[in-house]
Amino acid sequence: MTQGTQTNAQYLNNLVLKIALQDEQAYLELFDACASRLKAYAIKCGSSASDAEDLLQECMLTVWNKAPQFKPASASAMTWMYTIIRNRRIDILRKEKPSQIQSFDLWPEEDIAQISSVELISSHLDDEVESDLNAKMVRILIESLPEEQRQIIYKVYFEGKSHSEIALDLGLPLGTIKSRLRLAMKKLDNLAKEQMTWLIIILVTNF
Amino acid sequence: MANYHPSDELLMQFAAGQLTNALGIQTACHLESCIECQKKVFIYEQLGGDLIDYSTPVEVNTEAKSRLLATLHAKRDAGQLRTSDLEPIEALEPVFKQQLEHADQRLPKPLRRFVPSYYEHLPWSGFSKSIQSYDLPFSDEQYTARFYKIAAGKELPQHTHQGNEFTLVLSGSFSDLSGDYHPGDFVLANTSTHHQPQAHDKEDCICFAVTDAPLKMTGFFGRLLNPFLR
Repeated sequence: MTQGTQTNAQYLNNLVLKIALQDEQAYLELFDACASRLKAYAIKCGSSASDAEDLLQECMLTVWNKAPQFKPASASAMTWMYTIIRNRRIDILRKEKPSQIQSFDLWPEEDIAQISSVELISSHLDDEVESDLNAKMVRILIESLPEEQRQIIYKVYFEGKSHSEIALDLGLPLGTIKSRLRLAMKKLDNLAKEQMTWLIIILVTNF
Repeated sequence: MANYHPSDELLMQFAAGQLTNALGIQTACHLESCIECQKKVFIYEQLGGDLIDYSTPVEVNTEAKSRLLATLHAKRDAGQLRTSDLEPIEALEPVFKQQLEHADQRLPKPLRRFVPSYYEHLPWSGFSKSIQSYDLPFSDEQYTARFYKIAAGKELPQHTHQGNEFTLVLSGSFSDLSGDYHPGDFVLANTSTHHQPQAHDKEDCICFAVTDAPLKMTGFFGRLLNPFLR
């Protein structure tokens, strides 16, 4: 990971922390920093250009409303915004089909604790280390995946394709898709274990 | 603590927001009580964040930012935004909130809105006291979602599956040749599974099953029952 991306992750985290304090300037900065990528996500997921713009608006409004719940300890700003746009997308899709479940059925809201902004900021310094480590490891992992494995993960994330559809898309046997995905998943799983080790080290050194 | 878990692929699809209704709710129910899988989903969500980070930017409409700011101000003036730093706005619409509050709190949270009462009071249906079912209202084009209740100590006719059947144990326990399954356990049976589940003696076993094809009974008795099981 380069110094630049690390700074960028911290920059985004800080913007969201400021938005929690109703800072409109920070909100506009966050828009400038992320909007074009959030829109790219919507389009990759199959939205038309105008639906993608609507999803972007919905996502950013939710960012404003939920900013006080953002905890850099548990996720980077980008991960947090990913969960927001993923959930908004599900809810917008369901709007046309009332029989469908809502995102809060899948990810029940945590009981919203009253978090004071003082607490937020004071906890921020310690937490930064932890979330940076997480982000760093996931990033290293994606970069280390061979292109062919990464391509399949993209298809799962953005297109919601099943294994057999991916096989058809790429003109490869189903078995190949499965084994490539399995390899990628195994690396991610090892990462999860490794990360637990890091978390333990951090906890031990903190107390 | 569950001993049987959804596959990593399924958890990744969940984190990607790409599961259908039935499988999504079922996976969410398992996650509620499984820290191990929660950790994996957490990793996959970071992966989602990074994939966004890696995306090639797509140009945003020039007026998008002013539109956003205008909506923000309009909502604030209408009292639809959080107004202080301390109080996040209530995210749920009142109708959903009410549904959740009136639900039986012993049910897994993702199911509460959809199940009218705790298991013993549901309108179970079925031809036999050994196995009864209750259809859940969120089946989708691909998967059927229902509860099964196997009476304490009873054994199901031996059967195989034409497609996939994902089973989450909610209450009680059952066993088959491959193992013992307890609440939170998530088991996948498919065409190669040939089993005869039996509920443990002490209590009825309630399972949340998601199937993409009907069960196929194989024993003599089973063949007789097949038309009733759909």
